[in-house]
Amino acid sequence: MNTGVNVIAVWVFAAFVFVSLLVTYWAARRTRTAGDFYTAGSKITDLQNGLALAGDFMSAATFLGLTGLAFIGGVDALLFAIGGTVGWAVILFIFADRLRNLGRYTFADVVAFRLHPEKLRVLAAVGTLTVAIPYLIAQMVGAGGLFQALFDMSYALAVCIVGTLMTVYVALGGMLATTWVQVIKAVLLLIGGSALAVLALIPFGFDLGDMFSRAAGIHPFGEGILAPGGLYSDPISVVSLALAFIGGTAGLPHILMRFFTVPDARQARKSIGYAVVFIGYFMGLTVIIGFAAIVLLAGETQYVDESGRIAGGANMTAVYLARQVGGEAFFGFIAAVAFATILAVVSGILISASASVAHDLYTRVIRRGQISDRHEVRISRIATVVIGATAIGLSIMFRNLNIGVISALVLAIAASVNFPMLILALFWRNLTTRGAIAGGTTGLVVVVVLTILSPTIWVDVLGHQHAIYPYAYPTLFSMSIAFAVTIGVSIADRSRRAGLDRNAYPAQLVRSEIGQSI
Amino acid sequence: MVHHSELLNDPDFRRLLRRRSRLRWGLSGLLVTAYLSYGLAGLYLAEVLGRRFLGSAITWSLLLGYGIILLGIACSIYYVWQVNRIIAPLQKRLAREYG
Repeated sequence: MNTGVNVIAVWVFAAFVFVSLLVTYWAARRTRTAGDFYTAGSKITDLQNGLALAGDFMSAATFLGLTGLAFIGGVDALLFAIGGTVGWAVILFIFADRLRNLGRYTFADVVAFRLHPEKLRVLAAVGTLTVAIPYLIAQMVGAGGLFQALFDMSYALAVCIVGTLMTVYVALGGMLATTWVQVIKAVLLLIGGSALAVLALIPFGFDLGDMFSRAAGIHPFGEGILAPGGLYSDPISVVSLALAFIGGTAGLPHILMRFFTVPDARQARKSIGYAVVFIGYFMGLTVIIGFAAIVLLAGETQYVDESGRIAGGANMTAVYLARQVGGEAFFGFIAAVAFATILAVVSGILISASASVAHDLYTRVIRRGQISDRHEVRISRIATVVIGATAIGLSIMFRNLNIGVISALVLAIAASVNFPMLILALFWRNLTTRGAIAGGTTGLVVVVVLTILSPTIWVDVLGHQHAIYPYAYPTLFSMSIAFAVTIGVSIADRSRRAGLDRNAYPAQLVRSEIGQSI
Repeated sequence: MVHHSELLNDPDFRRLLRRRSRLRWGLSGLLVTAYLSYGLAGLYLAEVLGRRFLGSAITWSLLLGYGIILLGIACSIYYVWQVNRIIAPLQKRLAREYG
């Protein structure tokens, strides 16, 4: 769609950038120690952190992608909305308290609590960076494509704007700026999504039944869009999707890092409780928006072709709908919010990658903790600039990257490397250093190998006839194998270190449940 | 280390662990089972889930899907409430006594 420059979009976005830079200036003056930089001095409140957590999860891909999925596949899109809500609720039950009680800056603190500290920090850093860097690049490539479609802006320019702003936020303002950028964006997204839903339901007189009936009357699947089966047809994919939402989300380093920005376990618990409410509300609403679009965009030839496909891809459904029901001004607002969303999400990912390099690898492993606080903050800022610049360069080089494949890969790594390591470290006394390293490495290798052998790479990229691994997502197998190897190797481990690992469990249990060491 | 074994055998600490485990794994199990059952039922019982609920335009599939989202929110609120009400006071007492 070529709309020229939408003045409202530019103004709303400019206002967002202006406010976020003011926030960064304010935050930079309050960011002195390593604790300030990584966790905003653990002074974020539960509601603020709940919004920021929900913001980290509600990326542009979630909002635009989920509307598009409901538009294409109907009620099966609810599997994603349920996955988000259930995944976050399970994170609350299983991780919230124990993680907050054991960690300080990153999730590596938690797995290094009783296992060999340097070895586990290296493993956690591998698990963090193999998730964060590809995820960062996927988001930036997505941003470039979206801006091109929305504003006719050059791809490289869009990537540079996003990359430079995120680097400025994180390098200067640390976690405090990152959190406030995320909070502002989450509020804008919740308001924007709600307003879009209200505007889209006015033509139906807010009668959901009427909307669903008319959607079924128009959609090529007919009544089928109100019944399951539009997107999934095999049980392996359904179970893999569920595991990716639960294990994958619980293994994302930038989300785990947020647990440490609040003062204590009580606030961590409440903040994730808030996040579940925001995420359930927002994702449930997004599916309704997708259904409304089926009716309201039908026959609008500037958005939809004769076969019912959305011009520029299904991800454009929400922005087109915004224009259809709210006119140019509202369209501009939603487009700017999508822009702000990407910016906030990449900032969160960037700070987790920087913390992993500066805190886990440099300070803890290379210097064994023997550096001053000021020095550590300086290293974090340097790491931020280097990772930010690298991400900009790689995003410009790989502009044709398949974002869907990378996002699935990243979630699979989080679910198969970080999640098993964390849950077993927290709940299974017998876990040993050797078991964690064997399982984590195996999980990573299995994800990469299965992804290469899957249809998306083996057939689509490498041009073979049939895929050796027939499913799109590796999570079910890679996660099971990672758990099996970790458990098997730990049980067989009779080393001296294994004895230390197991004997330290009671002390960890006490601290993780009581909140202090005894 | 003496403190540890004392605390680990304290009836209040045992109760704290028991209650917390029941909440933690019970609620997780409930939600994951609901999610997987819904997803798998979509494959094998698609026709049933496609039926209208009480003659409205809303199908069972939509109703149950949104129902599970609400259940997830309700379970989370229940968990936070229960932990604050029952488990947090136990934690506080134990931390005071042994800390």
